[in-house]
Amino acid sequence: MQITINGENSQLEDAEFNLLDLLKLRQVESPEMVAVQLNGEFIDRNSYASTFINPGDDIEFLYFMGGGSR
Amino acid sequence: MTGFATNSIHGAQLKDDIHGSLRMPVYDSVAFEFENAQDINQAFAGRKPAHTYSRISNPTVADFEHRIRLISGGTAVIAVSSGMAAISNVILTLAGTGTNIITSKHLFGNTLSLFEKTLKPWGLEVRYADMANPEDILGLIDEKTRGVFLESITNPQLEVADFKALSRITSENSVPLIVDGTVTTPYIFRSKEFGADIEVLSSTKYISGGATSIGGVIIDNGTFDWRKSPRLKERALKMGPFALLGALRREVFRNVGACLAPHHAFLHSLGLETLSLRIDKSCSNALSLAEFLQGHEKVLSVNYPGLPGSEFHAIASAQFGGRYGGILTFDLKSQNECFRLLNKLELIKRATNVNDNKTLILHPASTIFCEYQDETLRDIGVRQNMIRLSVGIEDFDDLKIDLERGLAAL
Repeated sequence: MQITINGENSQLEDAEFNLLDLLKLRQVESPEMVAVQLNGEFIDRNSYASTFINPGDDIEFLYFMGGGSR
Repeated sequence: MTGFATNSIHGAQLKDDIHGSLRMPVYDSVAFEFENAQDINQAFAGRKPAHTYSRISNPTVADFEHRIRLISGGTAVIAVSSGMAAISNVILTLAGTGTNIITSKHLFGNTLSLFEKTLKPWGLEVRYADMANPEDILGLIDEKTRGVFLESITNPQLEVADFKALSRITSENSVPLIVDGTVTTPYIFRSKEFGADIEVLSSTKYISGGATSIGGVIIDNGTFDWRKSPRLKERALKMGPFALLGALRREVFRNVGACLAPHHAFLHSLGLETLSLRIDKSCSNALSLAEFLQGHEKVLSVNYPGLPGSEFHAIASAQFGGRYGGILTFDLKSQNECFRLLNKLELIKRATNVNDNKTLILHPASTIFCEYQDETLRDIGVRQNMIRLSVGIEDFDDLKIDLERGLAAL
């Protein structure tokens, strides 16, 4: 499916994908330190695993801690 | 991993070190390279998790911040250059000209000086309440109040407030409750569980592992809705639960420049690994010394929340899990007697610090509070015949012998 991540188009192969999967895919070392907006709404970090991504979704990751993943 | 000691030792996971180092290296590097212009642009926009410049963030410092977050249960942590930098950054972020904060006059001397002498001329009003009486803050809170600030155990008065009672009032009035937990750390006092929204710490003290270096920490416990903060509400719309961290990292902390040195972060991470062991020993020694001094004929009175006779013993027991900190005070007959005792000691060091591994002794009125007149000293509970003892982790018998010898010479 086609989604937008931080303003860039991105293609996901799997049909079922949650926010935690996406953070792992992007190799974010401290996913708990990322603020995630899904279509403009902040998602509670405890809901990452149960929040599934749909085609056309607009996702913003905001980082505040550095983190080390380049 | 949920245990305090386990988290403080194993919390940080170093995944990609080519040598398999078990310890985060000291990244003494000011700047970090990027593959291309787009990547550095994304990092500056906060869309890529990368360090750009060590005044803003650094891998070794981030490792320390990560461990603090694990042991505190906070939402976000930022490490700074000192405990005073932690307080300054928080107040500068939340308050400003024409606003007020509510605090106690029973504060660390430099904190009182920061509020009274540094921030007041910039237009911050400082209102003082009796924190032992939580209802006292009700009459002081208004629409311009930007925070209620107090210490977990006041130094050197050793008072303990009822944090749940205070937090009921602050949360009802949408004002963040800020606690300086330096002398307790998250090992003794779980500030989040007792309603504090922000905790600041001087990691120079217990955490540094033996008074090796200066540092501080700001913990956002994640309990305050920053949309209710006049200074942060715009950021809260963009950054959600990270509004305070974002305001610090991307504005106040970045602009003030009070960053923690990577080498200090390394030392403080190392100190964290033995924090629980050292605090247990320090608290146990402090209680034993308080009991010893209480029974000594030359000592007029002893103040320690671990003593059943302390008026704060019950609330300290309810909040601190049976540990009462490593600081006690006691009164002799006069300042002259205090000075004579200090000069007789051989093992206990005359020095101005607390929560070192070494036991330290100080006459507060003539040192950390020397800039204040007698009337102010009376107001803040600092007596001329009062001695402060910061109890370390030596063998108790050796500390007792040193004090016994000194008191016998009076």
